[in-house]
Amino acid sequence: MAKPKISSDWLAGCAGCHMSLLDIDERIIQIAELADIRATPITDLKEPDESGVDVGILEGGVNNSANEEVAHRMRSRCGILVALGDCAVFGGVPAMRNFFTLEETLRRAYVETESTDSGGMIPSDPELAKPTEVRALQDVVPVDIFVPGCPPSPEVIYYVLSELAQGRRPDLKGDLLHWH
Amino acid sequence: MVNLTIDGKTIEVNDGTTVLRAAQSAGIEIPTLCDHPELTPYGGCRLCLVEVEGARTLQPSCTLPVSEKMVVKTDTDRIKEARKFVLTLLFSERNHFCPFCQVSGGDCELQNAAYDEGMTHWPLSPGFNTFGVDASGPYFILDNNRCILCRRCVRACGELVGNFTWGFEERGAKSYLVADYGVPIGESSCVSCGTCVQVCPTGALIDRQSAYRGKDFQVDTIPTVCIGCSIGCSTTVGIRDNNIVRIEGRWAEGVSGGILCKVGRFEPVDDNRERITSPMMRVNGELKPVSLDEAVKSIATVIKPLAGKNGHGVAAIASTRLPVETLHMFKQIFADGMKSDMVTSLEEGWSTTNTAIFAEETGKVFEGKVDSLDMADCVVVAAADLANHHQVLGFMVKRILPTGTKLIIIDPESNDFDPFAEVKIKATKGTFADVFAAIKASSKNQSASELSAKCGVSEDVITSAGKILSESEHPVFIYSRGLTAKEGQPALAGLVDLAESYSGSTILCTKGKANSAAASQLRLDKPFDVGKHQAIFVALGDEDPSQRLIQRIEGAHFLAVTAAYKSKLTATADVVIPVEMWAEVEGHFLNIDGRIQMVSKAKNLPEGVAGNNETLKAIANELGVSLTDDWKKELTSRSSSMVIS
Repeated sequence: MAKPKISSDWLAGCAGCHMSLLDIDERIIQIAELADIRATPITDLKEPDESGVDVGILEGGVNNSANEEVAHRMRSRCGILVALGDCAVFGGVPAMRNFFTLEETLRRAYVETESTDSGGMIPSDPELAKPTEVRALQDVVPVDIFVPGCPPSPEVIYYVLSELAQGRRPDLKGDLLHWH
Repeated sequence: MVNLTIDGKTIEVNDGTTVLRAAQSAGIEIPTLCDHPELTPYGGCRLCLVEVEGARTLQPSCTLPVSEKMVVKTDTDRIKEARKFVLTLLFSERNHFCPFCQVSGGDCELQNAAYDEGMTHWPLSPGFNTFGVDASGPYFILDNNRCILCRRCVRACGELVGNFTWGFEERGAKSYLVADYGVPIGESSCVSCGTCVQVCPTGALIDRQSAYRGKDFQVDTIPTVCIGCSIGCSTTVGIRDNNIVRIEGRWAEGVSGGILCKVGRFEPVDDNRERITSPMMRVNGELKPVSLDEAVKSIATVIKPLAGKNGHGVAAIASTRLPVETLHMFKQIFADGMKSDMVTSLEEGWSTTNTAIFAEETGKVFEGKVDSLDMADCVVVAAADLANHHQVLGFMVKRILPTGTKLIIIDPESNDFDPFAEVKIKATKGTFADVFAAIKASSKNQSASELSAKCGVSEDVITSAGKILSESEHPVFIYSRGLTAKEGQPALAGLVDLAESYSGSTILCTKGKANSAAASQLRLDKPFDVGKHQAIFVALGDEDPSQRLIQRIEGAHFLAVTAAYKSKLTATADVVIPVEMWAEVEGHFLNIDGRIQMVSKAKNLPEGVAGNNETLKAIANELGVSLTDDWKKELTSRSSSMVIS
């Protein structure tokens, strides 16, 4: 049997879940032996193979049209989609902004922030992604496996990866189940 | 008794028991959020649903009474699905994002419940509705966004504390917690007892001082007894890295069953006074750090020659927040060893002397137990300000009023409990004995007109009080030093006489500070008079010295103080020796209803601090005074108004 292909990407997150993934340290070699690690934000290849991967992993919530595109692309190219971390699973810390209107948050970020000298403007270049409410990944594309945690601990990530690499579905419970 | 089967286990419980309690008694766990062992079942969260054979729908076990031959299942797939659905709805309603909540990671019952059900995510995303945050209170913050509407706080405030501050506005998912009729907490009737904070299952009620300072599993929890006043409520003190993180009540234990007031829960954590960390001696007009040995020797050098010099020897005064062991040593050194005629406590017997003398003279043990309030159908409060002092006793009175208990207030001053009173007797000062005699006469259907007139109260008022008392089966009379110190022995005699005329009555006295009663038993209760005493020894403990004390001591030839904190008194002393603050004290305290309670040491002393007992032992050693540790015998050798055990 060919090694399962694994690809990952990140959306509206802080990269902390990928940092936690790197914190599995030398165990990454075991994962690489069992699986074919393809495109990730921390490898050279940036987009999952058009021919598809077995497992797609996404960190972060969905907070603009660019995230939506990445999420849909990953979903369409992967077999099993994993939501990694509290932002992908629930919306996480970025979702705090949903308690305000989009207009309020943009004004706060670009106009009213203390570090803005004068004449701050909300960017409006048509090339920019269009901001939206922050959504959990499951609200944009169907998710198969949820790995909560802020970030999930290296132990949890290693468990999930090694199960997936060996063609099994991880079952998070007991000590492995933590939302943050 | 009722027999039922839960998960195949046959269980026998009392009639009226709920299915939840029956399951718990058999060691079967059913998850709940709105249930609390100290509160009336409410049935609000629906997490405790169970399957009952023959019932069409799942039933909430917390409100369902058991019935004969009932067959209950608590762990079927149908139930598990229902629990997940209940939790899903709860999470979807408000802001339950865990990464920015202080109870996440162990102290959140909602999160723990989700973990127990193996929930890796929320099937329904939240609606992002916003609710108010109220940070106007001094000790805790209300964040309605974290609230799950379990109403534990509402029930605790009413059922346990009798304050009824909390309530809900709006309906259904829009409901939110409000104080009184929607005023900010800081302007409401809230008394900051914090019972609601202790029962809150989520991060909706946040203790300002302990938030983010350690979860339960990171904090050492030491069971002890509060020494905020003479009641002596059972507490736990949470310690992390030798810092006090929080204080909580111990449910179903001790005098008050877990409720505390702000004096016990919040104020001790909010203490920014400066500690004394080394013994000090005045050298060339300034206090300089010295060794304990030097400090002790300098005290002994001054006071040893003063032994037996009545009136111009050594005067000694001790805090009533010190354990009996310390007070006993203190007494042995200064009264027995130095033969001083001026050995007393900072309370000077204000709260206890008249009671103690009356008990000695009459041989009557006339005071009862605090738990008599649970049965009380009438409470007479005689010159006691239970809204501001000994507050937990006030809570225990207020919480029984909704069940029909009648409150009679006898107080010449306005009393914060007046609005709750069935009868208010505003007698002329100095006429309490007549008030009691008048009530007694009226309840025995005798004329009270003459006596009423004497105390400036209309006869109708006296008659209505007498009527309530004559119809009462378990009246409880509560008095304080407002009665004994201000109205004297005859007033107390009148109260006891009145109470004794009703079988089933109980008398309680609020007393003073934590070891007020022990100081009285050790006869450390005379008025403090510096007079011509050559040297003064103050065992201040962790108290703040009163202005009056400082003024009276001013100009003394020699002043030695043992104290935990720097104060105006220690600044004027010739020798200062550092001792424990409350959380470092270990020893026994005699409470309001005669319980000898052990206070445990919750945290370690700062380096360089020897402590009360070690210091007193060193002083005794220098003076050649031998000490015994038979404090228990001493405590019970004087006849008392209460049963001491």
